[in-house]
Amino acid sequence: MNLKLTYVSSLIYPGISIGVEYPINHVTLSVLKNQILIKRISRDRFISGNLNWYHHAGFHDNLYLTAEWVMRRTRYTGLISEFSMGPGLSRTFVGGTTYKVDDQGNISIVKLAGYYYALITAGGGLGYDFSMKKQLPLSALAKLNIISMFPYNSTVYFRPVLELGIRYAPVRSKNMPDK
Amino acid sequence: MRKVLFLCIIILSQGCQKEKISISENASDIFYVENADASMRVLVKGNTMSNTFILVIHGGPGVSSYFYDTKYISQNLGDKFAMVYWDQRNAGASQGTNNGDDLHLDQMVEDLKKVIEVLKYRYGQDMSLFLLGHSFGGLIAADFITRPGYQSMITGLINVDGSHNYPLNDTLTRQALLTEGNYQVSQKRNINNWMPIISYCKSHKGNFSLEESMQLENYATEAENYVDSINHINMVTQVLKYTITDKYPLTAILSNLLFSEDSNFNKELAVKQFSSSLGIVTVPVLVLWGKYDFTCPLALGEDFYTHINSSEKKIAISLQSGHNMILQDKKFFCEEVSNFVLKYR
Repeated sequence: MNLKLTYVSSLIYPGISIGVEYPINHVTLSVLKNQILIKRISRDRFISGNLNWYHHAGFHDNLYLTAEWVMRRTRYTGLISEFSMGPGLSRTFVGGTTYKVDDQGNISIVKLAGYYYALITAGGGLGYDFSMKKQLPLSALAKLNIISMFPYNSTVYFRPVLELGIRYAPVRSKNMPDK
Repeated sequence: MRKVLFLCIIILSQGCQKEKISISENASDIFYVENADASMRVLVKGNTMSNTFILVIHGGPGVSSYFYDTKYISQNLGDKFAMVYWDQRNAGASQGTNNGDDLHLDQMVEDLKKVIEVLKYRYGQDMSLFLLGHSFGGLIAADFITRPGYQSMITGLINVDGSHNYPLNDTLTRQALLTEGNYQVSQKRNINNWMPIISYCKSHKGNFSLEESMQLENYATEAENYVDSINHINMVTQVLKYTITDKYPLTAILSNLLFSEDSNFNKELAVKQFSSSLGIVTVPVLVLWGKYDFTCPLALGEDFYTHINSSEKKIAISLQSGHNMILQDKKFFCEEVSNFVLKYR
């Protein structure tokens, strides 16, 4: 199981994402030439669960849970490329005090004003696995996700989210080269 | 996990949704009004100490009030009055879920009424309040002000290139395009660009379908590019200029605009007219128009001016504007609005 902590943002709007990854499948491909290893690639599949939040001042705060299918490829050099996608659930909190006026003209403040949306996220990115060359169970990652929320005003709301952070593998990675 | 979620919700509710009401010369308050499955953003910016508020009703449908909040307006109107930028339902930063069925003019007028009620609840019932409707916002303003009892909620009305009569609007757009097109061709200016427009107008003479109406509107926008007297504004540059500083929710603005443009709502609008009911209007009115506005031609402004029953009314024409006087002739716009509001507040 891996743990993930990332800073998420789109343009200038900050956020954070924490998640866990459960390994489903692991394949290591080794290419030998004259009995000498010249290339090794690991292919991993994970299911991940993530809790994400971003703050867009004056618009909304968005707290969303996602469950993603992650496909990751790690080269012997430590370079990681990955793609992920999956469904989620979003709860937004509207970016300001929200008032409601009833038919008699009475005005009240709506507590925790916001909406639930279904969500789909898809993204891809690059990273570096420090366990390949050193004994560090960490990976760095940079990933661009597109989240789509619906039904948003009877249509779909798309938002690009840039994710920068680290991933921690408490158990010794299968990617680590044998000593 | 439950505790983490609960903590997040408490932090969020105490942070972004805390009530903030600023009475100052440089206020900037954002709040939302929830009505019929929509939470509509309202930004109050400028001098709230003046107790004079100008509520901008943006165009569209589906365009956002973000585009009206410029530095020039802040410095030349916001310094004296409080500017109120309301994002209509399914526009700008307004939010909701499956609310497309509520997108109707009647509903938008009721939304406006509730926005005014909340505005007065926050800043005082004794405020001077002026409505400023631009383009499609002029239709909402015309509907609002002609409802019995509604005009008592406001001090005055400013109509900037607004449409109060869609069927008449189409007829006048066609006439304006033909008149200006023929003149430009006679002067041998942009002949290749004007000819398809003239040809279309000649072959479509009246009883316009929604498609014809939309094509005329497209030509009206395009035609502004072929008139040298207009102060041309690059809207893309204009939007990019404020995207970061004003924290535009760009993708929301875009998806709302695309939805509203394609909505059946436009069929309902195509037959709306308020010329016959404008006689009820008695509050002070300022009518501002661009000489080269083909989208809502000057004759439409004159129709509005003629039909209202206000004893205090003025019409002023910008000689370098098309449909977007607020940007194309900002000095003229701010001076006229400022003088009008100072006189009648």
